[in-house]
Amino acid sequence: MTGVPLPEFDYMRPLTVDELSAILAKHKGEARLMAGGTDLIPLMRESVLRPKYVVDVKGVKELHGITTHDGGVTIGAAVTVNEIVESEIIRKKFTALWSAAKELSDQTLRSRATLAGNICNASPAADSCPSLLVLGAEVEVVGAHGKRKIPIAEFFKGVKRTALAQDEFVKAVHIPNQPAGAKSLYSKWKRSWGEDVALVGVAALVSGKKVRVAMSSVAPTPVLVPEIGNVFYGEGTLEEKIEKAAACVPGGICPINDVRCQAEYRTHMAAVLTKRVLRELLGVKK
Amino acid sequence: MSRHKILVRVNGGVYEREVEARRTLLQFLREDLNFTGTKSACERGDCGLCTVLVDGVPTKSCLMLAVEADGREITTIEGLAKDGTLTRIQQAFIDNGAVQCGFCTGAFILTTEALLRRNPDPTEEDVKEAFGGLLCRCTGYRQIIDAVLDAAKRK
Repeated sequence: MTGVPLPEFDYMRPLTVDELSAILAKHKGEARLMAGGTDLIPLMRESVLRPKYVVDVKGVKELHGITTHDGGVTIGAAVTVNEIVESEIIRKKFTALWSAAKELSDQTLRSRATLAGNICNASPAADSCPSLLVLGAEVEVVGAHGKRKIPIAEFFKGVKRTALAQDEFVKAVHIPNQPAGAKSLYSKWKRSWGEDVALVGVAALVSGKKVRVAMSSVAPTPVLVPEIGNVFYGEGTLEEKIEKAAACVPGGICPINDVRCQAEYRTHMAAVLTKRVLRELLGVKK
Repeated sequence: MSRHKILVRVNGGVYEREVEARRTLLQFLREDLNFTGTKSACERGDCGLCTVLVDGVPTKSCLMLAVEADGREITTIEGLAKDGTLTRIQQAFIDNGAVQCGFCTGAFILTTEALLRRNPDPTEEDVKEAFGGLLCRCTGYRQIIDAVLDAAKRK
């Protein structure tokens, strides 16, 4: 059905952050930003979104590039998921994000899809988000009234809803350096070997006694399960603590039934993946 | 709706056209330039059958606007064989029975072109990873993977 055209829109391609800000300030809710287009174009094809203006951000130089600095790493809003997969620093120091990037959709799509697009689309199933939650990422946002930073845990407001105002856009995602010896990982459960939306995704970070676990596809937004952190300050062997951590999972999530699987299965697999990821990070053999 | 003048190189030829903002690269290639070897199926990025090379990178052309292709170099399946001589990858696909109904074949061959340029000696896992976004409903993939590994040996 190549005969069916997309709904009508005007295409704009600003070259600077200021120009992009001015477009958003002027057109607000009538404009949609496009980086890779891998979410926006299907949503327009299904007429879920009918923007009057599609604003391609790839021409804005300031949005490109992965930069490392004393505080951590900054990933520009136009950086593709494949650029993240190819980054040695992200593979070594922020492994949860790297392993999530490698699991996001498929290799071809990843050459267009972006990290900023993945968070702005705000799908409950977004692969990158549990990793950003355990790594404590911050979202750098620019709007008509200036800049602000939003902690990733406050960024998601509901299914496909974010904390962004209509005149605001994501300029970059910052990931702070983690304590020496910290390790992190993302594990995704899906139905097929190739591309699929996560049935459940679990990211974890382990740094001494500090343990953080976050999940996708088990609630209206990607969620941290903070109760798991407390378990590791308590008594018991590591294996006992891992079992206790898994027991915290059902109370920390609220999955739904959908075309992919049942809520009950998601709850079960969320606990299983939690155990697998924690065993891997803590070096516990089973 | 805005209209845009674009200049695109496709398979070595230069095409200057005016396109509507909403025109996808897939529609532009098939309907405006008649490169119908690029197949249209799901048009939502799932099946990968519309894959073309954009500056050498496999790209699902249903998820890219034609206006974004301005100044870029596109390779479709029509751009591979030279003067009727098949590439080693095309020949390996035939020899390994990797072509059945043929609807997905162009996308697999173009993806293989990019893979072997980047990684001349891929493992089976590398091949599967590169094919993660491509669907074939005939072969069960085995023959296609064999064809790629065979093509890599035919340097």
